[in-house]
Amino acid sequence: MFTEAYMLRALAVALMLGPLCGLLGVFVTARRLAFFSDTVAHSALAGVAIGVWLGLTDPTLPMVGVSLGVALLLLWLKEKTALLTDTLLALLLSTSVAFGVVVFRLQKGYRADLERYLFGDILSVSPTEVWVTAIIAIVVAAALFSRFNALTLLTAHEELAHVSGVRVRALNIGFVLALTVVVALSIRLVGIVLVTSLLVVPAATARNLSHTLRRQLLLSVTAGLASAAFGVGISYPLNLPCGPAIVLACATLFVGSVAVRQITGFHRREKREAGGSW
Amino acid sequence: MASPGTIQPPAIELTDVRVRLGELAVLRGVTLTVPTGQLVALIGPNGSGKTTLLRALLGLQAIEGGEIRLWGEALSPRMLKRVGYVPQRLQLDRGFALSVREFLALKLEATRNWLWQTNRHTDQQLRGNLAELGVEALFDRPIAGLSGGQLQRVLIAFSLLSQPELLLLDEPTAGVDTPGEQSFYELISTIHRQRKITIVLVSHDLSMVHRHASWVYALNGVICCEGTPTEVMNAESLKQAYGIHVSPYHHHHHGNTIHVH
Repeated sequence: MFTEAYMLRALAVALMLGPLCGLLGVFVTARRLAFFSDTVAHSALAGVAIGVWLGLTDPTLPMVGVSLGVALLLLWLKEKTALLTDTLLALLLSTSVAFGVVVFRLQKGYRADLERYLFGDILSVSPTEVWVTAIIAIVVAAALFSRFNALTLLTAHEELAHVSGVRVRALNIGFVLALTVVVALSIRLVGIVLVTSLLVVPAATARNLSHTLRRQLLLSVTAGLASAAFGVGISYPLNLPCGPAIVLACATLFVGSVAVRQITGFHRREKREAGGSW
Repeated sequence: MASPGTIQPPAIELTDVRVRLGELAVLRGVTLTVPTGQLVALIGPNGSGKTTLLRALLGLQAIEGGEIRLWGEALSPRMLKRVGYVPQRLQLDRGFALSVREFLALKLEATRNWLWQTNRHTDQQLRGNLAELGVEALFDRPIAGLSGGQLQRVLIAFSLLSQPELLLLDEPTAGVDTPGEQSFYELISTIHRQRKITIVLVSHDLSMVHRHASWVYALNGVICCEGTPTEVMNAESLKQAYGIHVSPYHHHHHGNTIHVH
């Protein structure tokens, strides 16, 4: 099945984005950014609608553009209003989805395009998209590892990070923008509706079996990679949609991690240690 | 506050510092001096501006007026490198599997590649800097699962790794049980004695402040009173700071205890 060029392209993109989402997911879950990821993913719908309306064959650019715009708008609103992040995210998510659906509705044949983006369509990835994904994956991963300690410290305590010399605001903005770009790219893989699971589920699976950040990172990246490979692998022979197959593979690994945790007594050890006093 | 024989500039000098949070004037002209090498306590009721003052000292809170100087120089990122900060608690929850070893390794230049190095190498680097703190037994523990007392020790260890000359502690015993509190303050005293660093302690715990601090500032928007613990811990001074009657009395087991009525 991997003799077909389109399958190879699909596999290549999945094998790049799966582990990258696993890596980012560790920080997304720890920093409680899952709803943020969901919001930028849904806002991409407005970008796709604008792209289709403009007659573009590949709406990736407006999709990434609108997602970045929404992410920056959120940061600005957070600074300028007293509203909670949750409230702002719900506002931006619903507004951008409503805008996207209205723009789609004004065009002919909107339903097919809408489904491609809602649930992913990795089999139609072009060679250019494979290269763009490769470049972005390398840049984001390199940036993440170069600022890894600062980002970890920022996740642990923002003020402590500031006192330790971390440029907190710049790093916060940088992380949010990198996350937005990866989310927008991953929409081709699993779709708007499912993209958050690619960030959250491998990291949660890894956390179930980890006491250390090093281990959580390693397991999260491995879970992302394995789910992506398995999802693409079984979607062709079983004639399943690729994106949901990847997410189900992620969920299967998560269930497995809960089982391993129970069987090996990992959770009991963790509880015992947490209960210990000085 | 007099400091005979000191030739170094004071560790902290605040002159008429004013901070407004929205409509509320939290600090209304705070002037204080902390000489190098002292263990100073900052006390005051809730909302008196203690944490705001600490945040201003760390450059986290913009001031409306006045001046903050550290060792005679204006507050800057360069000066902040000489400051250690111990927050009340960390923001991270159980979703992040950060171990104590990994957390401490974030601070040291020698361990900045901890992700790719062996634990043995990281431990060697950390041990040399943390001998008196006894946190080595916790290295493998996830930081989110530590008790209040353990976490405070780890946070102090973290701040001491960069060999600061000034240590700022914000309500360090919030969430720590009473025996833990006592051993915690003893640890602070030991660090102060052995490392000869300046320590500023923001605290609610008047009894412990009385026992361990060398100088006390009582804050309530402005500095209400200052002096040695014995001078400040009298009913009149405490009433000025807290606005209510506070009576110190001697307990035959625990030494001086402060009661708030």
